[in-house]
Formats: sequence, structure tokens, C-alpha cells
Amino acid sequence: MEGMSKLLNRPLKMFAWYALLLLACSIPVYYLAIDQIWISELDEHNYIIKHRIEQKLRESEFSDSEIENVVRLWSVIEPETELVPVLANASQNDSLYEVTRITDFDDEIETDRFRGLRSYIHVNEKTYRFTTETNVEEADETLAAIAAVTVLFFILLLLGFILLNRRISKQIWKPFYLTLDKLSTFDLNKNPNSDFETSDIEEFAQLNQELEKLILRSVSTFNQQKEFIENASHELQTPLAVLRSKLELLIQGQNLTKEQLELIAGINTSLSRLSRINKNILLLAKIDNHQFSDAEQVDVTACLEECLQLLDDHFSSKRLTVERATEAECLQTCNRSLLEMLFNNLLVNAIVHGAEQGVVKVETRPDGFSVSNSGMNQLDSKTIFNRFSTTASSANGSGLGLAISKQVCERYGWEIAYRFENGLHVFSVDF
Amino acid sequence: MQSYIRCMKILIVEDEHELASDMVKYLSGEQYVCEVASDFESAIERIDLYHYDCILLDLMLPGGSGLQLLEYLRKENKQDGVIIISAKNSIEDKVVGLKIGADDYLAKPFHLSELSARIFSIIRRKKFDTANVIEQNELNVDMDARSVSVAGNPINLTKKEFDLLLLFLGNKNKVISKNALAEHLSGDLADMMDNHDFVYAHVKNLKKKLTEANYGNYLTTIYGTGYKWRA
Repeated sequence: MEGMSKLLNRPLKMFAWYALLLLACSIPVYYLAIDQIWISELDEHNYIIKHRIEQKLRESEFSDSEIENVVRLWSVIEPETELVPVLANASQNDSLYEVTRITDFDDEIETDRFRGLRSYIHVNEKTYRFTTETNVEEADETLAAIAAVTVLFFILLLLGFILLNRRISKQIWKPFYLTLDKLSTFDLNKNPNSDFETSDIEEFAQLNQELEKLILRSVSTFNQQKEFIENASHELQTPLAVLRSKLELLIQGQNLTKEQLELIAGINTSLSRLSRINKNILLLAKIDNHQFSDAEQVDVTACLEECLQLLDDHFSSKRLTVERATEAECLQTCNRSLLEMLFNNLLVNAIVHGAEQGVVKVETRPDGFSVSNSGMNQLDSKTIFNRFSTTASSANGSGLGLAISKQVCERYGWEIAYRFENGLHVFSVDF
Repeated sequence: MQSYIRCMKILIVEDEHELASDMVKYLSGEQYVCEVASDFESAIERIDLYHYDCILLDLMLPGGSGLQLLEYLRKENKQDGVIIISAKNSIEDKVVGLKIGADDYLAKPFHLSELSARIFSIIRRKKFDTANVIEQNELNVDMDARSVSVAGNPINLTKKEFDLLLLFLGNKNKVISKNALAEHLSGDLADMMDNHDFVYAHVKNLKKKLTEANYGNYLTTIYGTGYKWRA
């Protein structure tokens, strides 16, 4: 699942990137807009000052010398505002400008930005050049402030996204995750039920509907398949029986040659294997189809002991030593035949695959048991319980013994596992 | 007593003709007279008309189930021995069949020698309630006490050796395959393995014990195939 992200995290990521991009672009736009407003406001302000001064000077009807005094005074008190007499024929166009310079009226010495207006005032037939400058916020300061606010909002936006996302995934996507949970525990073998939660979201409702249909189809196909397998292997039993009886009649013949007897023995061996495989397929189908349903309290250790005794001949003919480590009493509620089948399959597996003169260890615990046999190499624990996974390498088994063991365990929810440990193939079952 | 065992009547209720005719071929001869019924109706007909020492009953028949037939037999209070031979090999059928009154249950595919041994034992059980003893020349086998003696001298057989002896006695002059012997000794488990070497050991021991007690060399080995009990 590496490299995978949750469905809802994808749009979240994209939303976040989009918001970041948008907000980043908005910073210069805000700046330009604010600066523009600021400057036009200051220009207006400067004009107002100019008009006020012009008006006041006219209204007060100052004499030329008085005006001169005012202008001088002015240039001392307000150096940023200047009133200078000029020749009447000089160019009298208004001009707006911006200047940045160091001022020493501020608390700290730094460069400040000013917006200036140069205009001309006519008082008493004389022309004065009027200049006024007003302090404007510096571009970098405005920009920094806007950026700071934007970042703050971006963070808030992101937090909001994450919180909303959580809420959405918890509430709106709930039926989806319920469906997902149901699917992950879905098992055709375990009497599957296809009831999904109802949802008022169209897509989810449709998804559940389609899944229900799909499951119903699968279940019905699966059941047909199971039935087919049971019927097929069942049908095979009769021709197998006929073959076997014919062979038995054949060996009654008086004048059979050595070669013929050898051929018959060969046919017999293959026939035995064939009927064994068929019998096991039938058995698997029966366990699949939930036969062997009656359960009782079974003493696991005693049952194992009985199986060991029945197999006594086989242990001794391969000169295998059986080592027991059994718990006195260990009771389980299950079908006795199935438990015997489980033991027999594991023990027979140990006999067939165990090395001559090797060791077979059986162990029972209150919560499980294990059967081990000596061996050389680790087997593939992933496929070992699969049907027919071992037939290629061994001509002995039916290739179904371990599959049957697994099926029996699954029936009762027991854990069956294989491991290779200290030169032993260990098959353990946990109840 | 031997004459009783001869000409025992057996009814084979089996719809698979090949299998039925094989059973007839194997069982006919010295000991048994066999008749075949291939459907429910003809089986009922025969049961009504004749008495059989043993009925081999397939459970799935055209016209009805073998279990119904079994119920009919018990209702009519017929004492024929019944062995169910079924391809179903289901434990439920076995339990029900034995409950209704079948004497034995044999799952297909089975060995004819096994079938013959079972018939042998059932017929003996039905016929000789009090003294179920088989005598063959110097050999004396008490089926109930499960004891064996040769010319009056008891010999000590293990359970498996005794079982083997019964199989041989139920299949006189027949070749019994190793597979059949193995299956007779360890039932379904023999089916799970190809290696039947353990059979040799038991046969060897049985032979040794019989020979030591001066019983004739009746048990012969057939090359690569199995054994034959000559009588």
C-alpha cells in the first residue's frame, strides 16, 4: 500500500495547493490595489491642502509683505510644504510625484516615502509655486503586512480544510467504509451475507446495490461449483469401483505371467491413487457443504492417541520414532470424524514425507496441538495448504491432505500454520 | 458344518450392471449362489419370494432408496443379513443404515475380497449363534472367542494377524491384493498411503506362527500382487 493515500487526502492536497497559489497571487494584487487607493487618496488630500491654502490666502486679503512673512514662517515650520513666488510667465502645470528620502523627524532614522504635489497658487496677482509632501506607507511595509495576513488566513484555511475533511470522511463516507469493511471480511466459504447498510447518497447506494448483485451471482456460481464437484467425484466412485473389481477378478487368473502381474500391480497403484484423490475431493466438497455438522465434546489427546495407534504399523514400517508431549486432558467441541481426519492427515503427512528412521513429534496443549517431522528444507508456507500444491514433487499423497486439514481448521476457526524449526517441519493448530 | 456354508444365497441389489456382474463372478463358485436385482421393484419381488443369507444393498436405486428396502425387510421381519454398499460414503447414511438394521456398511470403491470376508463373517454370525467355529483341516478358529488352534494346540495371534486370517478364510483360493490387505488392516487410513510394506510384516508373522504349529503351507505369495489362501 506504499505510495497510496486516502481518497479524501487527494482533494485536500489539491485544495491546499490551489489555495496557496491563489493567496500567493493575491498578495501583489492586494498591494497594488491598496497602494493605488492610498496614493489617489493622498493626492486628493494634497489638493485639498492646496485649495484650502489658496482660499484662506485670498480670503484673508494679506498684503504682499504679509504673505512673504507667512511663506517664510511656513518654510521653517513645515519644511514639507513650500510656497515660493515664481514669475507669472513660468510654466504652471501641476505635477504629482513620489520621493523617498531620509527624514529626521521620525523616532528612528530611516527612509520614508512621500507623495508630493507641485501646483501654482495665484494671490494678489502674483503666482506662487506650492509644493506639499505627505508621508506614504513604504511599499515593502505594505507588502509585508499583506503577506503576513495572507499567510495567517492560509493557515486558517488549511486547518479548516483538515477539520472539514475529517468530518466528511467520518460522516459522509461512513457507509463507504462500512461497505469496505464488509468486503474485506467477505468469504464465500463462510455463508456470506450480502446485506449492506442503506445509504442516502446515490453513489453509495448504487455501489452497495451492485455489490449485492455481484455477491449473489458469485455465491450462486460458487454453490453450483461446489455441487458440481461433489456430484462429479460422486459419479466417479462407481466406475472406480468397477475398475477395482475388474482388476481383482483379473488377478484371480491362473496363468498370468510375471510381466502381466507387474502391469496389474502398476495399474493397482495408480487406481489406488485415483480413488484416494477422488475420495479426498469428495471429502473436501462435503466439508465445504457443511456436512459433518454434529459436534460433541472430544478429548483431543485421547483422539490423537487413537489415531497414533491406528497408524502404528506405518510408523514402524518406516522406523519412525514417535515423541509425545501431551497434555492430560484437553477438551474441544467439534465433530469427532473431522478431528480424526485432521489428525490422520497431519500424521500421514508426517509419515509420507518424513525421512526414514526420523522423528515424529506430537504435542497437545490446552489451546492447540502440533505435529512435527524431521526434514531437510523449508517448504513454501504460502502454498503448502493449497490444493494439489505438492503433487508435482511427490507421487505418494493425494495432494489434498493438508488442504483438508486447513478446511477442517477453518470450519472451527482454528489457526493452522507451518514453520520449519530446528530441522523439523512443524504443523501447529491453535484452537 | 462345512456343508452349511456351501450354497449360501446372496442377493445383490445394485443397478450398476458391471459391478454387479463382477461381484457375481467373484462370489460365485464354491460358496455362494448369487442373484442380481437391479432396481427397487425387482428387489422387493425377490425378497418376498426367497430367503437370502445375505443381501448386498446399494443405497441409490432406480425406483426407490436402499434404506426404504431395508425398512421393508425389517417390517416384514426378515432375518436376511444386509450389507450396505454405497458410493455416498456418508456418515449419516452409515449411522441410519446400521440403526435400521443393516449388519455392515461398505463404501464404494471396495475390494471384492473385503466384501467376501464381510459376507463370510455376517453369514457365520447369523447362522451360528452359539458356536461360531471355523474348522479347516487341523485349523480351528473360534470367531467369538477370537482364538485359534492348530491340532488342538492354541496359537497366539495378534489382533491384526487374526484379522488377516479371517480375510484369508473368507477368500479361500482367491488372490488377495496387497491393497486389499492393507485396507482390511487399517481401513480408510490405508487409502491415504501407497506404501503398504507393513502388510508384509504381519503376513510373515502369521505365516511363521502357523508353520511353527505345524499347519500346512496354505498361504502362498503371488508375485508382485498379493497372497492366496489355498484350501
